[in-house]
Amino acid sequence: MTVRRIVTRPLEGPVPLLDHVPSVVWMSEDRAMVGFGEAARIEPGRGEGRFEAAAERWEDLVARIEVDDRVGLPGTGAVAFGSFTFDPTSGGSGLVVPQVLVGRQGDRWWITEVDGITGERFLHPSGTAPRPLDRPRYAGSSMPDLLWIEAVAEALRHIEAGDVEKVVLARDLAVWAKVPFDPRLLLERLHARFPSCFTFLVDGLVGATPELLVRRRGLAVESVPLAGSAPRAEDPERDEALGKELLASDKDRREHEAAAASVGRTLGELCVHLRRDVEPWLLELDNVRHLATRFEGRLARWVSSLRLAGRLHPTAAVGGTPTAAAVDLIRRLEGMDRGRYAGPVGWVDGHGDGEWAIALRCAELSGARARLFAGAGIVAGSLPESELEETRLKLRAMMGALEP
Amino acid sequence: MNETLDPWDRALLDALERPLVDDEATAEPLTLEQLAERTGISSVLLEMLAREGLLRARRQDPEPRYDPADAEAVAAGFELLEAGLPLAELLDLARRTDEAMRPIAAQAVEVFARFVRDSVEATAESEEEAARRLVAAFRRMLPATGRLVGHHFRTLLVTEAHRRLAGDGR
Repeated sequence: MTVRRIVTRPLEGPVPLLDHVPSVVWMSEDRAMVGFGEAARIEPGRGEGRFEAAAERWEDLVARIEVDDRVGLPGTGAVAFGSFTFDPTSGGSGLVVPQVLVGRQGDRWWITEVDGITGERFLHPSGTAPRPLDRPRYAGSSMPDLLWIEAVAEALRHIEAGDVEKVVLARDLAVWAKVPFDPRLLLERLHARFPSCFTFLVDGLVGATPELLVRRRGLAVESVPLAGSAPRAEDPERDEALGKELLASDKDRREHEAAAASVGRTLGELCVHLRRDVEPWLLELDNVRHLATRFEGRLARWVSSLRLAGRLHPTAAVGGTPTAAAVDLIRRLEGMDRGRYAGPVGWVDGHGDGEWAIALRCAELSGARARLFAGAGIVAGSLPESELEETRLKLRAMMGALEP
Repeated sequence: MNETLDPWDRALLDALERPLVDDEATAEPLTLEQLAERTGISSVLLEMLAREGLLRARRQDPEPRYDPADAEAVAAGFELLEAGLPLAELLDLARRTDEAMRPIAAQAVEVFARFVRDSVEATAESEEEAARRLVAAFRRMLPATGRLVGHHFRTLLVTEAHRRLAGDGR
């Protein structure tokens, strides 16, 4: 498959976005992009170099495409959506170029069409009744939770021994249904519940994540690492108190600073100007709050957003601190392949602009089967039963989101 | 120990200190490691159950000592896991059962004290007779309660499963 010509033209909005079954989706507070079909695919294979390899092939492809972009926003013209594996030794990383893309930024709408394919039909209701759906049915985990708590106990021994300060351990849950899962339902629910998150679908990986790994517009870059979190409460006074506790918590502040410092070091090497929030602030979601620090910088030279994502991955939020030791421990203890869970997910356009987030709170849909993921940060003093319960609740919420 | 207890209450307290399973009346309480050895269940899981209050030490000697009957209960839980119930879900059920049963246990003890113990005290001819009758009542009632509650919960499970199968076929 190759792409020769891409045309982007403005649209009179609004247009219903999730009426037809999409192949790729990216939705955030002020931006939505929904793609249909697949015009090209780039599969870089395994290894530490998977981001660079994919970026190189994307840049090669873009150089050969004739682009007629009558809108000129980030994400118009040539654009690819990608998701990458957490672990370099896992397979499944890739970029997808949709045949048709309908997008919106603020109140500006556009449609992008590849090689003369008309996307007109995606602008109107499909007219077909949605398929009947089935509930998600449990089919087991890669690692029984009985063994997972032993992994947590082992991680705690490594923390006590000083090998790592924090390690994020995840577990999965396989579900099936009698008819294929429909990503639209999940996308709509996640976007409605977490409007400030990035809601995504790439190659069946669907989810909503609060963590912006990197955003690039021209030479301007932005990253908002999250680390250190606390629950929310129904009672407003209690909720406010929990927020203040998190801001004042030494343990969470240290964990956060370790994560922020690692982002700062990487961006520092690439930027001429880099400013960061002096104090972390609270990023509050429906069910949890995180400590966040915003970095804003100006790149010293042109580097595509995809390559930046590769440089920043993995962050402490999904690996641990120090990162290399934590990732090694994850590989030994977790007993599963994370696949693209906790890996970068996002989009890159023909100019290298784009947004990449970390695929958390997500499910991997594959026809009538799905794999759900949840992780918990293990630090000194963590209790296996609390971490198990935290992941149980996260997995239950994800299963609930798949209910018809 | 409360020195102001009546002699028959002290006898009851003695009976409470002894293992709960009749045929293991002579068995010594177990340490957590011994419990792990006997059941083949990891100490990580047992420690977790102890922290959750789902496994209660009968005394500190100086480390926690568990009743041999606890080994049976833990083995029963393990059977549920082996049959396919995820640990996280079993723990959630266990926590909620514990929470729901606590006030009922308190009320049952209150009813025993008011209607069995008080009446023994009122009608016994001697301190010895009161102690004997009270301990005998306790020894009879505790296993009977176990059978009664176990049976009732099994009936509830079967009824609920039946209702569900007959209802929506899920």
